[in-house]
Amino acid sequence: MRDSICIHVDGASLRVESHQTVTSALMRSGISAVRKSPSGEPRGALCAMGSCHECRATVNGVRGVRTCLVNVEEGMTVEREQPVLKTSMGVSVVHETMSFETDVAVIGSGPAGLAAACAAAELGKTVTIIDESPGPGGRIWSHRGSPPVEARPWIERARIAGVQRLQGYSVIDGKPEELKVASVKDGTRHRVLCSSVIIATGARERFLPFPGWTLPGVVGAGALQSLIKGGLPVSGRRLVVAGTGPLLLAVAKLAVSEGAKVVVVEQASFADRSALAIPLLLSPSRWRPARELWNSLRGVEMYTSSWVTAARGQQHVQEVSIRTPQGIKTLEVDGLAVGYGLIPESRVAAGLGCEIDEDGFVRVDEHQQTRVPGVLCAGESTGIAGSESALDEGLVAGIVSAGRNPRSRLLARVRRHRFWGQAIEKAHPLRDEVLQLAGAEDVICRCEDVRAGEIAGCVSRREARLIHRWGMGHCQGRVCEGSSMCAALEGSDSVRPPWTVAPPEARIETSR
Amino acid sequence: MAIPHFLVVGAGIVGAACARELARAGNRVTVIDSGPGAGLQGGTAAGMGHVVVNEGDPDTLKLCLRGRELWRSDAPPMAERDSYWETGTLWIAEDEETLLQLEGAQKKLESVGVVSERIDGRQLIKLEPALAPDLAGGLRVPHDGVIYAPTAAREFLNASPKVTCHFGVSVKNIGDGMVELTDGRIFEGEAVIVATGISVLTILGEAGARLAEKVSLYPREGHLAITARGTRILDHHIVEAGYQKAAHSTSNHSISNHSTSHAGSKSGSVACAILPRQTDQLCLGSSRRPGEPGPVDPNMMMRVIDRCERFVPSVKTLPILRTWTGARAATSDGKPLLGPVPGLQRTWIAAGFEGLGITQAPAAAELIRQRIMGESCTLDPWPWDPARPYKNNSALTKRESDHA
Repeated sequence: MRDSICIHVDGASLRVESHQTVTSALMRSGISAVRKSPSGEPRGALCAMGSCHECRATVNGVRGVRTCLVNVEEGMTVEREQPVLKTSMGVSVVHETMSFETDVAVIGSGPAGLAAACAAAELGKTVTIIDESPGPGGRIWSHRGSPPVEARPWIERARIAGVQRLQGYSVIDGKPEELKVASVKDGTRHRVLCSSVIIATGARERFLPFPGWTLPGVVGAGALQSLIKGGLPVSGRRLVVAGTGPLLLAVAKLAVSEGAKVVVVEQASFADRSALAIPLLLSPSRWRPARELWNSLRGVEMYTSSWVTAARGQQHVQEVSIRTPQGIKTLEVDGLAVGYGLIPESRVAAGLGCEIDEDGFVRVDEHQQTRVPGVLCAGESTGIAGSESALDEGLVAGIVSAGRNPRSRLLARVRRHRFWGQAIEKAHPLRDEVLQLAGAEDVICRCEDVRAGEIAGCVSRREARLIHRWGMGHCQGRVCEGSSMCAALEGSDSVRPPWTVAPPEARIETSR
Repeated sequence: MAIPHFLVVGAGIVGAACARELARAGNRVTVIDSGPGAGLQGGTAAGMGHVVVNEGDPDTLKLCLRGRELWRSDAPPMAERDSYWETGTLWIAEDEETLLQLEGAQKKLESVGVVSERIDGRQLIKLEPALAPDLAGGLRVPHDGVIYAPTAAREFLNASPKVTCHFGVSVKNIGDGMVELTDGRIFEGEAVIVATGISVLTILGEAGARLAEKVSLYPREGHLAITARGTRILDHHIVEAGYQKAAHSTSNHSISNHSTSHAGSKSGSVACAILPRQTDQLCLGSSRRPGEPGPVDPNMMMRVIDRCERFVPSVKTLPILRTWTGARAATSDGKPLLGPVPGLQRTWIAAGFEGLGITQAPAAAELIRQRIMGESCTLDPWPWDPARPYKNNSALTKRESDHA
């Protein structure tokens, strides 16, 4: 039995189940919009993994808390962000900071991070994992209560090997031997002193703007998966799962198993995807999951060569238009999940000075070492290839960080995974139409409400940023970076501290 | 009769202002810039955007004042969030000694007709409740304000169809009303105005090198941060007045860090300067140390925020969105270079405004236009003329040699 606890949302008491994120608790209670954009539009969670900052609110008096990264607690207050008062009653107190010393700091606790931590710790290194989520597992193994079967052995191994975990912390600044971390809950800063760093920050979803994509209730495909795993009930709900890639099917499978009525809309053509047949045949370990996935989706309405052209609704998405080879279809929905594949999360790597390629991936050698001495990188931020690949790359990074040489069989496996990742990518090429869905009036930068028309004439990123304020908000461009308009802009962005916007380092304490 | 044609090198706030002035006088203007667009480099892009009348030296004070007048009356049309916003500057004295200095500063401002108002400690809190309760007092300069300089530069250039821009090009050679690009193109005009900030003497080649023997131009790095929306807990531009003292300067002719050229050692010095922005954010500064802008130095950033906290105790309770560095172009005698380049024909220079480029840009541009077109000048141009006698500041010379 899960406990029922009481939280206070904008002053009103709300009974919610424990062991879930604030975002999830709010959505279950029918609150999908927690904030207003600069031009006054209602906004709610989009990515549900800490990238978009759209779900932020004032939690327990702390401003700028991403509610998707924080679990509910008895008596917690959640408020929409209000302008800071001009009076400063009370005193500003900076939280006490601590220093943690560790041989290896691992950033991210998904498959790559966990495997790296296990490998390094089992070879005698002291290891500390730093992760933004309340618990281990990362995006792919997100869970409520007990972790999924695949994750358990790794979490257990890490525990036995004595791996320390700093859950609920973002890495916001630092250098390879000293990382500065900030609590996602209250902004407390700590320092992590280490002799090597393994970056396992994974990937985030690629969002492509379309009319209505900013409506509350429109979330990422992976976001829906996390929300359901986190306890969002979808039984009887009409959901459209759209975008591209194998993730859509996994999300649909989960939603169907929870009783939702699901329509899948895949932009890739059947012909493109059939190219996957050969790599699949060459990869026997993937046969059974693929067959299971396929069987579980029997009866799901599925469109290929199709995509969402618009979402409509008042305070929440109510209607979705999809373009199919048979023409435009309009569906009434309770929710829309859209994700166009994954893009690497490489801001920490860039901040530490690692080389980033033109697609945003961190460059590593076959030992997962970046060009910066003592800094390694494993998993999706070096190439999108799935969790098995992330695990193996993590092992390599962990072994190397402990000063050992990984076995050639392990290295060969990593190479094979890369091949599979590339095949998936090739089978889901983005069609031009989905790159050009946003009209001039549609928002492309959600943080600052920059509309597509405003940056249409821009040549450089610098111009888009400085003149039109694109990417100048909380997410720092994480959401819109993946869109074609932003990709077309010349020049690159330098990553400056804070690498992730954190709650303030101090709080006001009124006299007691 | 052909329309006279002028060349402007540098599309920062100063170059763009010069282009607008020349175009308004009926000329055709070609603007050349190495960046991807107007106002996207140097101090224009990195600066806070304050428009402040604060220089104690009577000549430069006048240039500030004229600049501010023009920003208030003659700014190009811009969206509200970017256009001139009269926040007023509140110079703040931490202690009684600094408060006395502010009294002196007020007299100097008065002598050129700048309105200002002395504020005691208690009034200070009423005016700005977010300030620390133990501050001695302040001086309020009501008509100062803030402008968003990148947009202003862009709109200066958009203001006239007579202006043509070439972006993303580099200059190979400049001389006698001519500009040669590295791609081989050559532009010729009645005159060329060089306003490329810190690189101005280098870009002028031999003539620049000769000028550099008399006056040096060097970068002075600064660190800035900006808070999230919804955090505008101040209405005024807040600047601490005790900076001079902290920086061990030998000069006493300025009340702020923004104009003086005598700051600090290699480790740099910091002062509280907080500028509210129309986007409901606060820009937090500032530091200064010799050198080109490098990556953000966390220690320097921390010192800046710590110093801001002394004056606005709740500053650390505001979320920081972004931090960055930039450089001001400073001259060794603390005055901008504004006038014809000695040893060249039909070649003008407009650079070296240190932290006051945005404030002074419209006035500098007006002066350049008046001199080029042979009109009578609103201000006496001689104090800034590159052929002026240079009196190098002894403190500065010592400091520069310390770090040579």
